[in-house]
Amino acid sequence: MVGMEEAWLIPAIPAAAFAVLLLVGKYLPRRGDWLAIGAVAASFVLFFPVLIDLLDEVDQPGFAGVSSGIDWVKFSLPTGPDFQLRLGFHVDQLAIVMLVVVSFVALMVQVYSTGYMKGDPRYGWYFAAMSLFVASMLTLVLADNFLLLYAAWEGVGFCSYLLIGFWHERRSAAEAAKKAFVTTRIGDVGLLIGIILLWREAGTFDISEIFEFAENGGYSAEYLTTAVLFLFAGAVGKSAQFPLHVWLPDAMEGPTPVSALIHAATMVVAGVYLVARMLPLFELADPVALNVVTALGLTTVMISATMGLVATDIKQVIAYSTINSLGLMMVALGSGSVTAAMLYLFAHGFFKALLFLSAGSVIHATERQEVSQLGGLAKRMPVTAAVFALGALSMAGIVPLSGFWAKDEILNVAGDHQNFVVYGFMMLSVFITALYMVRVVILTFLGEPRDRGAQEHAHDAEPAMTVPLLLLAALTVVAGFVTFDGVGEALGFPGGFGEFVFSEEPEAFHFPLDVAVLSTVAALAGLATAFYFWSGEAEPARRAAETFRPAYETLKRKYFVDEVYQWAIDRVVLVTGGVVAWFDRNVVNDTGVDGTAGLGVFTGFGMKFLETGKLPNYALAIVTGVIVLAIVFMVVRV
Amino acid sequence: MDWVLFALIAIPAATVPVFMLIPSRYPQLVRNVAAGSGFAMFVLSVLVFVRYEFTGGSGLRFDLQLDWLENVAFLKENGITYHLAVDGISAPLVLLTGIVIFAGVFISWNIEHRNKDYFVLLFLLVSGVFGVFLSLDLFFLFFFYELAVLPMYLLIAVWGASSNFGTFTRTKEYGAMKLVLYLVGGSVLIFIGIFATFVEAGQGTFDLPVLGSVTYDETFQKTFFPFFALGFGVLAGLWPFHTWSPDGHVAAPTAVSMLHAGVLMKLGAFGILRVAITLFPEGAEFWAPVLMTLGVTGALYGAVSALAQRDLKYMVGYSSVSHMGFVLMGLATLTTIGVNGAVLQMFAHGVMTALMFAMVGAIYDQAHVRDMTVFGGLAQKTPRLAGFFAIAGLSSLGLPGLAGFVAEFHIFVGTFNTYPWAGALGILAAAITATYILRMLAMAFFGPFNERWAQLKEMRLGEQFGGALLIFFIAFMGIWPAPFIDRIADSVRAIPGLS
Repeated sequence: MVGMEEAWLIPAIPAAAFAVLLLVGKYLPRRGDWLAIGAVAASFVLFFPVLIDLLDEVDQPGFAGVSSGIDWVKFSLPTGPDFQLRLGFHVDQLAIVMLVVVSFVALMVQVYSTGYMKGDPRYGWYFAAMSLFVASMLTLVLADNFLLLYAAWEGVGFCSYLLIGFWHERRSAAEAAKKAFVTTRIGDVGLLIGIILLWREAGTFDISEIFEFAENGGYSAEYLTTAVLFLFAGAVGKSAQFPLHVWLPDAMEGPTPVSALIHAATMVVAGVYLVARMLPLFELADPVALNVVTALGLTTVMISATMGLVATDIKQVIAYSTINSLGLMMVALGSGSVTAAMLYLFAHGFFKALLFLSAGSVIHATERQEVSQLGGLAKRMPVTAAVFALGALSMAGIVPLSGFWAKDEILNVAGDHQNFVVYGFMMLSVFITALYMVRVVILTFLGEPRDRGAQEHAHDAEPAMTVPLLLLAALTVVAGFVTFDGVGEALGFPGGFGEFVFSEEPEAFHFPLDVAVLSTVAALAGLATAFYFWSGEAEPARRAAETFRPAYETLKRKYFVDEVYQWAIDRVVLVTGGVVAWFDRNVVNDTGVDGTAGLGVFTGFGMKFLETGKLPNYALAIVTGVIVLAIVFMVVRV
Repeated sequence: MDWVLFALIAIPAATVPVFMLIPSRYPQLVRNVAAGSGFAMFVLSVLVFVRYEFTGGSGLRFDLQLDWLENVAFLKENGITYHLAVDGISAPLVLLTGIVIFAGVFISWNIEHRNKDYFVLLFLLVSGVFGVFLSLDLFFLFFFYELAVLPMYLLIAVWGASSNFGTFTRTKEYGAMKLVLYLVGGSVLIFIGIFATFVEAGQGTFDLPVLGSVTYDETFQKTFFPFFALGFGVLAGLWPFHTWSPDGHVAAPTAVSMLHAGVLMKLGAFGILRVAITLFPEGAEFWAPVLMTLGVTGALYGAVSALAQRDLKYMVGYSSVSHMGFVLMGLATLTTIGVNGAVLQMFAHGVMTALMFAMVGAIYDQAHVRDMTVFGGLAQKTPRLAGFFAIAGLSSLGLPGLAGFVAEFHIFVGTFNTYPWAGALGILAAAITATYILRMLAMAFFGPFNERWAQLKEMRLGEQFGGALLIFFIAFMGIWPAPFIDRIADSVRAIPGLS
């Protein structure tokens, strides 16, 4: 019987599939796609016995999850405890929530990919890389120590690099992959420093031991604040928070199913998951730490939502909406609520994957992704249009879709724990989100087709692609109801989502009517405004862009952030590299090394003139020497 | 099993006369003999590594001591002996040498010009390398050290390549001359240090275990630690005495670069650990901040310089300076974790940089240029070559699951314990590594295919075999480092003065 102790099997199966696919994949029938899908399906199935085992024990007082694992590296130190790095896995409620999102969405995406990627020359490699990603992501979720967490963290980043650059013949894809890896790597510098800082005092990498150490006052508040802010830098990179958000829109160069899995439902929420797990440390640290989380989260929400308004690529719009969602989750964490963040993460995984996959169906059918070349597709692709609209409305927070419940919970905690400025901006963002999400629905599916050529063969995709869409759509509708105690209990959980995720201090779901009404009004206002702006010929939108040209330009050029970075790379980083390389060649080598060598040659050259071979010269030297010595001795002696 | 260490040094040395007896009209026979001998070394080095026993503390394994000179003049009992043994630190390095030379023979398969002489020098060099790792007598250690360095001169000057970079040129004679002069300059310091230690110890012997049992005067330690640290440090690419290394690589033929960066630079770091730190713990403590500063400077400086390079070999050369900076950082921590990491990094850097040079060579042999900007999209034409190169690069930027990560993680943890600022700068250097590696991959291998290289073919079978061998060990150490760390930690804990 598989229980929590055997949870390591969940990542191990896709990892084994990766190894097989890498080595012999091209000799397998269908290049082994069935193996990749079978592996992720097995992971998904194994989730259930693990969950049941957890539910058996979750009621016990003081339950904090179950760990198991083996030593990876271990040696003794002259003083203190052994140095130990473990391959350790830990199952608790947080991990369970992530597990189901990752394994289910991965399964849907893999099945979908058999249709989307059909005929690609690197079809087998695609499934191998996806398997490696799933294995790394599941490891990240289950890691019980910082070493394994960091390893998996880098692993998912690397898979993201491989898959963004999947069509590496395209210069833009190769560049986007590099940008994603390097940008997140900058955050990871902070993550690694934070991890080592935590280890330095506690002497262990084990997460629960570090918690215990911190609760017993092992760290000073300043030290802990520094450490958690370094950790947060990693989350900023991975979860595309301002100012490291620039890689995520470019990451849309990858195949669309990749965007759905990696850049929407799973990898990018790893930062949120990290902060959620580390929240006890953030709370022990100075309040400044959580305020930083809130501030960056809110900034991210506002800039991404506004940039989403002017983006013209269907995938880019969804990418901005993802950054927007990630910012919301960070605000929830900044307000101290794991429940709200995780509920949003849970719901978001389904509806965002749905949005990307249905956008993928559009791209697959029309080979266009600029909204200026789409339009009127609802008639040709009714199923795709319906599920896309469903996802968009969920993102916009329309009752009773899952996005509504999740977003309301965040607005709630923001209202309770933050000042009214934060709350006000959050409400504003609800309006803008509805505005741009409905905009993309209108521009893509309603009105008249703008590019007839693209429409000719457009139709709903084959079942391999449509069935995952329908399943995700169903979850988009119902996933939000898990907040209710009644639903949770009916499914065998101790209560609603908040009760389950936080068994020690249950955060009961509360539903203040004022927040719900206000957010619904904001969302509906956004929806109505979108119809006013963009339906038909979209004349009002054009006029607005004309009137507010500088603002429009600023949004179009993404607040100039990319340009500033590009400038810094060209003018600072590469120039520094050039200067150091020049210094090395001309100063260290040609002056220092060759100069020293030249000095020897020069001295030898000079000395050779002394050796004339003429006796009178030598006699003169001897006599001079004797006289000089005589004078020296006289002076010194007397 | 005593014979195994003796055999490891003797096999390459004994192959040399065999090469000489083969008439030069049979180049293929030369290659076959080289492959056979390389295979024998590989098997024996694996054997030494695998059969290392964890019994009885941190002693020496396969100890073998043959008299050479004793009780004459200033020498007393066991004055100079042929003393060979392996411990947990040298075992992985012996394995590394076996791997790199075996792979290197296949990489050198296509050398047509005087291939007999080439292999004679290459095998002499390898014999010296094994000798340094295994010798426990300072006299023979020094002898083998010189034996490992001097063949370099001819190998580069005869089989190397001169390059014109537009604004400046580097001839192979210049590279060879600079390299050898630099290393000989380092040897002079070592030589002085050896005699000073011999006299100060007053034991009448050059035997390292005996010299190690003496407690040296603190002032003496502080004075003579730098002789060894700097002397060996030159070979380890210690900043600012590193410029022989990138220029040497650019001039050297492929397999020589592999051995040079992969193994030879480790001799320097190994010497610092085996001689300087082990004999002079107080001297080490006194000079550690300086060594740390130079190490971290080298790590950052090498990484930033690599960022500006367009020539593939220069990039890999500077990246070696950077990675050897990590090794020196690990040693300078004087902590168990840091020194373990330094030894791990010696192995990791050895295999991955050998792989990188092998792949640069595979491109250069066909394209005759190494400027990364003139390529583009090579991954479409030569996917295996691109994949191998990428694996080496990913290991060097510290991707978990590959060897570099394990080593760098230990070094950073150890450094943070003693010098947090240096640890932070080291992690920054690792992030810069990611930038130059990915930049190179994107320029040369990805993007639209440059039709100029339509004639380019996939690597030869020998190159694929050599590369696969190196990758196997990169992945092995990355996924399951315990066999390495167990051995290393077993001996590092015996080094005096580590915290």
